[in-house]
Order: sequence, then C-alpha cells, then structure tokens
Amino acid sequence: MSETITAMPGTTDVSAASVHQMSMQQALNRALDEVLADNPKTVIFGEDCGRLGGVFRITDGLQAKHGEDRVFDTPLAESGILGMSVGLAMAGFHPIPEVQFDGFAYPAINQIVCQIARMNYRSRGTLPMPITLRVPSFGGIRAPEHHGESLEALFAHVPGLKVVSPSNPHDAYHLLKYAATRPDPVIFMEPKSRYWQKGPVNLSSAATEVSANDDGTAPSGSLTGARVAREGRHVTLVAWGAMVSRCLQVAELAAEDGIDIEVLDLRWLKPIDAEALARSVGKTRRAVVVHEAPLTSGLGAEVAQLITQSCFATLKAPVERVTGFDVPYPSGDLEDEYIPNIDRILFGIQRVLEYRRG
Amino acid sequence: MAEISFPLPDLGEGLIEATVLDWLVEPGQQVERNQPIVELETTKSALELPSPQAGKVVRIHGAPGDTINVGEPLIVFEVPDDTAGIVGTVPKDEAPKRRVRLSAVLDED
Amino acid sequence: MTTEPVLAAVDDDAAPLTHHQLRELYTLMAAVRHLDTSAVAWQRQGIIPAYAPELGQEAAQVGSGYAVDRTRDFVFPTYREMGVARAMGLDMVGYMSTHKATWHGGMYNPLESRFAPIQAVVAGSVLHAVGWAHGQTLAGQPTGEMGVAMTYFGDGASSQGDVHEAMNFAAVMKAPVVFFIQNNGWAISVPTERQVAGGSVAARAAGYGIPSLQVDGNDVVAVFEATRSAFAHCRAGNGPVVIEAMTYRRGPHSTADDPGRYRTLNEERLDAGEDPLERFKQRLLAEAIADEAFFAEAQRLAEEEEETIRRGIEDLGPRPGAEMFGLVFQEPTPALQSQATAWREESEHV
Repeated sequence: MSETITAMPGTTDVSAASVHQMSMQQALNRALDEVLADNPKTVIFGEDCGRLGGVFRITDGLQAKHGEDRVFDTPLAESGILGMSVGLAMAGFHPIPEVQFDGFAYPAINQIVCQIARMNYRSRGTLPMPITLRVPSFGGIRAPEHHGESLEALFAHVPGLKVVSPSNPHDAYHLLKYAATRPDPVIFMEPKSRYWQKGPVNLSSAATEVSANDDGTAPSGSLTGARVAREGRHVTLVAWGAMVSRCLQVAELAAEDGIDIEVLDLRWLKPIDAEALARSVGKTRRAVVVHEAPLTSGLGAEVAQLITQSCFATLKAPVERVTGFDVPYPSGDLEDEYIPNIDRILFGIQRVLEYRRG
Repeated sequence: MAEISFPLPDLGEGLIEATVLDWLVEPGQQVERNQPIVELETTKSALELPSPQAGKVVRIHGAPGDTINVGEPLIVFEVPDDTAGIVGTVPKDEAPKRRVRLSAVLDED
Repeated sequence: MTTEPVLAAVDDDAAPLTHHQLRELYTLMAAVRHLDTSAVAWQRQGIIPAYAPELGQEAAQVGSGYAVDRTRDFVFPTYREMGVARAMGLDMVGYMSTHKATWHGGMYNPLESRFAPIQAVVAGSVLHAVGWAHGQTLAGQPTGEMGVAMTYFGDGASSQGDVHEAMNFAAVMKAPVVFFIQNNGWAISVPTERQVAGGSVAARAAGYGIPSLQVDGNDVVAVFEATRSAFAHCRAGNGPVVIEAMTYRRGPHSTADDPGRYRTLNEERLDAGEDPLERFKQRLLAEAIADEAFFAEAQRLAEEEEETIRRGIEDLGPRPGAEMFGLVFQEPTPALQSQATAWREESEHV
C-alpha cells in the first residue's frame, strides 16, 4: 500500500487558516521576514540582497520593511561576505548571508572552512557561529558556468558545518526558520530549479513537529530529520533538493510496472538521519541514492555506507548510486544529459531489483 | 503571465495632460526598456516617451489625437509571473517521459 | 586624470590615428552596437536563453581591443566583452555560442584568438593575466618586444580580493599586464559609490606603485590612445599599468534583469552621458572624416554581419554529450571512461 505524502510533509495540522499555496521563493521570503521580525539580532546581506531583493527575489521587500541596517547590499566579494559574518557573529548578531549562486561559494571557501566552521571549537565554545548561509544551489535552469553546482559533499565534509536542503515550499519555510534560530552554522542549500513551483505551506508552528509517518515513529518527519515523501515496499529512493520531485515522478512510473517505491527526502545532509535510512531500507531491502553532484566522493557514498552499516544482513542488493558525472557541470545544452533523468533512475532501480546474491 | 499597467507620467512643470501624436509600438510587440513607445504633444513641446519596462505590449490607450490625463492608463505590458531571477530559465514542469520499463520477479521473502 | 607615478615610457607609435583607422573604429562600434542589441532580441525570440548586453560600452571595448597586437599579446575577458572580441577579429559565432548555452567558455579557439575562454567568475581571470605576463618575462622576451596581457574587469569585480592580489603580484614582479577596468556604474543593482570606496579603482594603483590612467570610456579615441601607451609601457619592461575607463551600462545586467527595480529612466538619462556612437559620429562628421553615406554603409555592413552570425547561431546544434567526458582531462581516467560508457548505454539520444 503506497501513499503519496507530498501535500503536507510532516504535518497533521491542516486547518485551512494556516495553509497557504505559495512558491518556494515566496515561502523563503516569508520565513526571512518572520525571522527578522522575531529576532532583532538577525541581519541579511550579500550581493544585490537589498534594493533588488536578490537575483531570485528571495529577499524581495525585506529592506524596505526592516531597514537598511538589517538587510543590505555588500560589495561584490564572497570571501568578504563570509568573513564579515564571522565578526558579526562574534559581536552577537545572527548573520544570514547569501552567496548569490552555488559556484560563488568557492571564492569564500577559506572563510567558510577555516573560520566559520571552527571558531566555536577554537574558542572552546565561547564564540559560537550562529550563521545561516543561504546558497541557491544545484542545476536545471540553463544558467552560465558556476551557476549550477552541487556543493553538498564539500560542505558536509567540513567539521563544524551543518547542511540542509529543502525540496518543497513547506519544508523551505520551516527549515529556514529553524536553521536561522540555531546556534551553529548551517549551510542552507536552496534548489533553484524549484523556486517557482507552488505547493501548500502550513504556516502553523505545530506543523513542524509532527511525524509524517502514520505510526507516529518520530523523529522521521520532524524538522531535524528525513521525511518519507512517499511510502513504498520494494525499493527506497534516497534524494534531496530538486531530485526529490524527480524521484516522486519515477515512483509513479514504477508503479505502472508493479514496483512500489518509497522516496526518502533526506533534507539534512549533515547530520544525515541514519535512523530514517535504516527504517526505510530495513523495510524495502533495496536502495538507490540519487543526486546531481558528481559520483566520486559524492554524498551518495556516505548514504550507501550508512545503509550498509544498518541493513547489511538484509539488503537484497548493493546500494546503487544514480548521480551526475565526474565532469564539470556542463552548459545548458548538455544539462539534461548530466542531471539524473528518469530513465537513468529507472535503470538504477532495475539493477537493485534484478541483483541476485551468489 | 501578469500584466503591468503604466499611467501617463508627470511630464514635468505641472502639465496635467498630453495628446497622443503617434504610437511607435503596437499590441503584441516586444519592447525593451528605454525604447521610444509613443510620441506625445504637451502644451510646451512634442516628445517621445521611453518605455519604463521590457515586456510584451498588451494594450495601448488613446488613438492619435486623443488627450490623456496624467495618471490615466497609457500602456499595459505582459510580464512572466515567474522571472528566472538574473540568469537562467524557469524550468517547465513537463509530463515525465520514459524509455525504460522495469521488470522484476519480486520474491517477498 | 592621471595618478602618480606616471607612465615611464612614451609610445614610439604615438602617431595620431589615420582617417582610415578612425573610420574602421566607427565601423567596429556600429557592428558591435547592432550585434549587441540584436542579441537581446534573439533572447526575446527564443534563439538564445540569455545574454549580458554591453550597450554603452562600445567605445571602451572597441578602443581597447583595437590596441591589442594579436601576434604577441593575450586578452583575458569576462562575460561582457563582446566588443573586445569583435575588435580583435574573433569568430563571433564561436563567441556568441556561450550565450546559446552551447559551451561555457565559448567555441572559439583561445590560443589562435589570443582571447582566453569567456570567464563567468567575477575577477576570476585577473591573476591569470599576471601569470601569463610573468611568463613572458620568464621566457626572456626582449625588452621592447614583450607580449602584454590585458585583463578586463569591472567596478564590481574590483571588490574581489583576487584583484588586489593580482595588482600586488604584478607590481612586485613587474609583469607586463594592463588592468583594464570598465567602470560602468553598476554591478547588477549596486552603484559604484556603494561598491568602490574612494570612488575610483584607478586611484588604488598608487598604493601598489602602479601607474594608472582614468579615461573617458565613452571616447573611443581616448580609450585607444590610453591603451596603446599602456601597452608600450609594459612592452618596454616597465611593469603593469591600470586603466579605468569611465563608462555606463545603459542596458540591464542580463536579459532577465529589471533595472526599474533599482534605477529610474531619468537617472539613466542623466548618468549615461552622451551615446558613445553618436558622439564619435558627430566628431567624424565635424572633422569631415566621414559622411552620411559612410555611416549608412557601416550600418548596412553591421546588419549583414548580424544576419550571418544569427544564422550561424541558429544552425548551431547541441554538442555531443560524449564531449562532457572527453574534455575533462588530457589523460582520461578509467572511472570516467566507464561513466561515459554507462551514459551512452542509458541516455545517449541517437
């Protein structure tokens, strides 16, 4: 028996008053608006975040509403933006910097890795880094070079960073509000190809704490863990960001062939919800990890190891990975050849289905 | 698609109206920001008004010879609801396409 | 404005431009203007997905590109240097293909064109120019004949740390490199006064002991002469030069940008100054260097050229997916080859 839980992830409170139809772009904008209102120490800054409202309009209207001290444009220097975040955090602020595109995080890697990630440790806990770094991420919009990259494995590999990526407007709203109230640095990877798709958002804070599972097995649906986006019996597809919706499409197609797919939306890429992986694959006994990032040393390897660790005895097949290739993210004309497409994911599913031990 | 309407702007020095001499664009036409869209005559001079917006013209108000008051609708543009930000293209949600079929004998042990 | 220290060498080729050269400069600017505005239209017509216009920067780009010696110099562009590319005689279908999303760096040959691959990272190639220039020194190029690197960047890019590192390196190593800044007033939505402390990138050169020139970037002859003298200074072994061409980005940052969100038409009119093409045309007319028939012919040539380039772009199909794998390394790895094989089996569309 499969059930599609896409409408209201992690939610039982569906009172009409708190449910709004909005795009991820609007959901993120609303979350930032509320964070600014709730905490006078939050500040938003980056390239074109102020008057323009960001190149994706995520900060649209926030400067006009909250003032130029709270929401401001910086000169064009990512290392500067992130380095300044460290000092602001030391001064008691909660910076929410934006790096305009994934690939622009590379010039700031020094400040992210050597400073933000380890100031808490260096200072023996006296200088926490409550920094929420928003990064429009992943590909799919036929953009120029360095505007379509998937850096999650890079960030996840750095001790001292937490990494999260929402796949839908509801999660985007709640996860951003959650991240922006944490005392540790969180890299918030926004799937830019999903900015414009609309979905229901339950704005109630109660909507954040409820499991998506009918049996109430918390915390799989809670904000700090993964989310079962679709229940199924035969194979678990593990994904995050923009790949979740593609995996849900694949699950519908697989159902036509009599294969019942479970889709696990990982949400947190560090820490990874290992219990949710164990629960899901413990049931389906087959898993395929899907990500846009290149294969080698991608996060799929980490996920596969966690599954192997918990489910080795009952796995029917080695965990498969369907990913981008070990090539620089290509230009728009070749984008569809690079990003895992429906057929490649189906091939991956077929491989775990037909694998036989011995 | 959304529509953005622009009224006749204050052309300066307290003028309250202008007369349309000639439209330089027509409905359906794509115009660029700053492109001249209409020739107007005020009590002081004739002038070309530049487009405040890039977009497709949906409607124009006033035939040659008509007088339009400042603040009244002059031109309406069609702009996409979801602009892709500064670069890139908003992906279309398309019906999923497949070549591959799954086949499996599922032993439910 | 010239900030100290002044250029150490005077160009030995400082002769005024001939009438023929002046007319050629105009012809180039007209071609660039028409191709640039056409490319915006191509985007509206769905021929290309996006474009970064350089409207208003024709004088800065053509004037500087015209000074490059393609037998020995090398240019490091950003993603908004179509006018430089055209002035240097690049294969323009190969150049514009980057905007069709065919290949990120463009399809022209950088080594033959003396024009590095199109650079999407702001300030990404400024240090490369210093390295290439120092390479000329290391290769023992004789003084007076040295190849010179010219790196393009903008007021926005000048905020990047790499630019400061590049200037310092170049000065320390006396590298023959021209830092050519087009200060076009805007980095997407952020104006120069909110970007460049002190208001001038050229003024920063003094701190590195680099001679600098701030020129009227809308005066093609002034830009050409400044660039020519900077090249002569570098070629003679005197080290780097900074040129800041003051111009104006008359169009949007890109075809998806909406400048109405951050500046008014009136501000644009006041700040943009005189159109560089119109201004040059009036000069050529006033000095009887060209007549109306010449300008009509220049426009006709520009339109003809645009049609040829547009046809080339329209005919340009996607690159074979196999190139994704084949161009990563000079020596491919077995893992990558097996990924290519899997890709061919699972998704190659033949």
